[in-house]
Amino acid sequence: MCFLVPIPFKISKYLRYLSGLILLWMAACQPTGNDTLRLSSWVSSPSETNLFKQTLADFRQTHPELDFKYEPIPGNYSEKLQLMLGTNTAPDLFFLKGMTAPSYMSFGILNPLDNWMAQSPDFEATDFFPFALEAFQYDGVQYGLPKDFNPYVLFYNKAHFREAGLDSLPTNWQELEQMSAQLTKDRDGDGKMDQYGFIVEPSIEMVMPFVYQNDGHFQNPDGSLGITDDSFIEALEFYYGLYQKGVATIAQDQGVAWNGDAFGRGTCSMAISGGWLMPFLKDNYPEIDYGIIPLPAGKQRATVAFTTAYAMPKKTAFEGEAWQIMNYLVGKEGMANWTNTGVAMPTRRSVAEANGFYEHPVFKTFMESAAYARPFQVQYSERGFEEVVVAFQAIFFMGKPPREAMEEIASQIKKYRLVKNKKQR
Amino acid sequence: MKLSAKQKEQARTAYLFIGFPLLLFSVFTFVPILFAFFISFYDWNLLIPDKPFVGLANYVELFQDKVFLVAIKNTLVYTIGVVPIQTLLALVLAFIMNQKLKGRAFFRLAFYIPAVTSSVVTSIIFVWIYSKPGLLNYLLSLIGVEGTDYLTNPSTALFAIMALNIWTTSGYFMISFLAGLQSIPQSLYEAAKIDGANQWQQFWKITVPMVRPVTYFVVVLSLIGCFQVFDQIYVMSAGGPVNSTTTMSYFTYNNAFKFFRLGYGAASAVILALIIFGATWLQKKYFPADAY
Repeated sequence: MCFLVPIPFKISKYLRYLSGLILLWMAACQPTGNDTLRLSSWVSSPSETNLFKQTLADFRQTHPELDFKYEPIPGNYSEKLQLMLGTNTAPDLFFLKGMTAPSYMSFGILNPLDNWMAQSPDFEATDFFPFALEAFQYDGVQYGLPKDFNPYVLFYNKAHFREAGLDSLPTNWQELEQMSAQLTKDRDGDGKMDQYGFIVEPSIEMVMPFVYQNDGHFQNPDGSLGITDDSFIEALEFYYGLYQKGVATIAQDQGVAWNGDAFGRGTCSMAISGGWLMPFLKDNYPEIDYGIIPLPAGKQRATVAFTTAYAMPKKTAFEGEAWQIMNYLVGKEGMANWTNTGVAMPTRRSVAEANGFYEHPVFKTFMESAAYARPFQVQYSERGFEEVVVAFQAIFFMGKPPREAMEEIASQIKKYRLVKNKKQR
Repeated sequence: MKLSAKQKEQARTAYLFIGFPLLLFSVFTFVPILFAFFISFYDWNLLIPDKPFVGLANYVELFQDKVFLVAIKNTLVYTIGVVPIQTLLALVLAFIMNQKLKGRAFFRLAFYIPAVTSSVVTSIIFVWIYSKPGLLNYLLSLIGVEGTDYLTNPSTALFAIMALNIWTTSGYFMISFLAGLQSIPQSLYEAAKIDGANQWQQFWKITVPMVRPVTYFVVVLSLIGCFQVFDQIYVMSAGGPVNSTTTMSYFTYNNAFKFFRLGYGAASAVILALIIFGATWLQKKYFPADAY
């Protein structure tokens, strides 16, 4: 606690003391809350929050001796976390998004977990899907443990497919385009299309599955930038082409907030999304009859998987306790509790097998995707993503040729390559 | 200067009264401003303990950063577009609201409501209005014009946000002008009428010059507000599409809090502060408040 005490100094000396006073006051206001372990997450939907609280309650029951506080961060998670880490007030255990993980790991502010993993016989690192573990490794060190994953899959509207007389589902790029064309129609006859086969989005995450399928990369395995390679450009051209040819729409053209909303309204017959679209459809468009299949393949099968990990800051005072909680939450019991409603897929093969994810009519599609899913991660700062998004916007909204747009930003993005914090070496 | 005992006593009381606010102000405003200036010379990543001094490197990089140059351009376009229209509109509204009209109280309230509504709320409402199937395009379709999606079209997005800002703040400044108008002696208008001046002449020859101090105040405030525009951008367009609505404040925020470059962000904030300082100085020099 911290109070401002009025100090009866002489007025003439007031200003002289002012600066000293401020320093004193700031020094006295040391961050509080160092007495219990704190756990923070972002807040997505009420149902997820409740599920998470339930998982934590289960842990409390089996580990009553371990005291901790759950402090969710309702908005601007990344910004808030950055400030907390920078001022040594960070929670002792927190969510870390796979896409932003490389930045945090390169700054050397996360606690390495390898020793703890080795010391815990029940941990079994080999049980995890490799892509999920690798997403939180940097220079061979494990900095976070994946709690779940969610791959992009293809949602399709069964009624639209029946209506168009389609009795098969797209398995490759050509079929995706063909079927999109067959599903695009003008329902009310006003000369304007009101149902599109597919929906696209000028975002890097949405383009990457196509790039991976075409054997391309954002960042090549040798570390060089891949966005001007033919394999990248071809995929981007195919993806943008769907929109350009009028067989796909974008959310902005329909005045909806996101792809899932357009899919729910029946504005598009197919949409790429992760599992989070299912509860959204259930809440907002319960009448829609839809199915889920793996993404159509290009030269090879691939999809992007989003994964979230638990991580702890280097400066935590509760390392052992934080590990215990983390080990429970990503352990067989905690992960089974957290994923049992299918809010996200388990990152442990044994949990998926024990809970019937491979047999489940819906979840099996997600699990099948895990075999070839990749996290989208590159060793570039977030500024690099921003530049790509701007280039995509120029393509989609201004009709700039994809190759030209990517070549223009390539040299700029190279400047944003992450460099490992030298002091940490 | 020698102060009498009474004056000393008065001064002490005065300082006591302003002391606490001054302290808060220092801690939360002056110190951070100085600190921002200080870190603009460092490569300051909050998350890395090593924060090397880089001299003017941040500033040099800023002026080679295409996005920053676009941000300066956007901010200037925004300010030059919004300030005059907004000021004139506020004055005209105030002039009309100062007449003896039926339902005057209702209109005053109606024009003032956007100013007291949260900018996030008005921004979200305008996101709907500007969307492709939104209200604006519906109205345009009635007269046979097909509109675009205003916020994803790089050539309209900035202007759409400018229009929103003019709408929200005109009512706010109208109140300032109303107060100014009510202090103009009625006798001036009466004398003008006797001399045969019409409404138009009265407005330009009496009202406009007489509210000059208020105009000064309004222009300074709206200049500063426009240069710092952030909330509407953050909510409505996130700087896009194609950086067409990236303003200096938004650029600063992105670099400091999203790209982990506090020093670089601070440098762009310092440049923004210098621009605002310069604009206000120019205004004070060429359009002083008390010319009449």
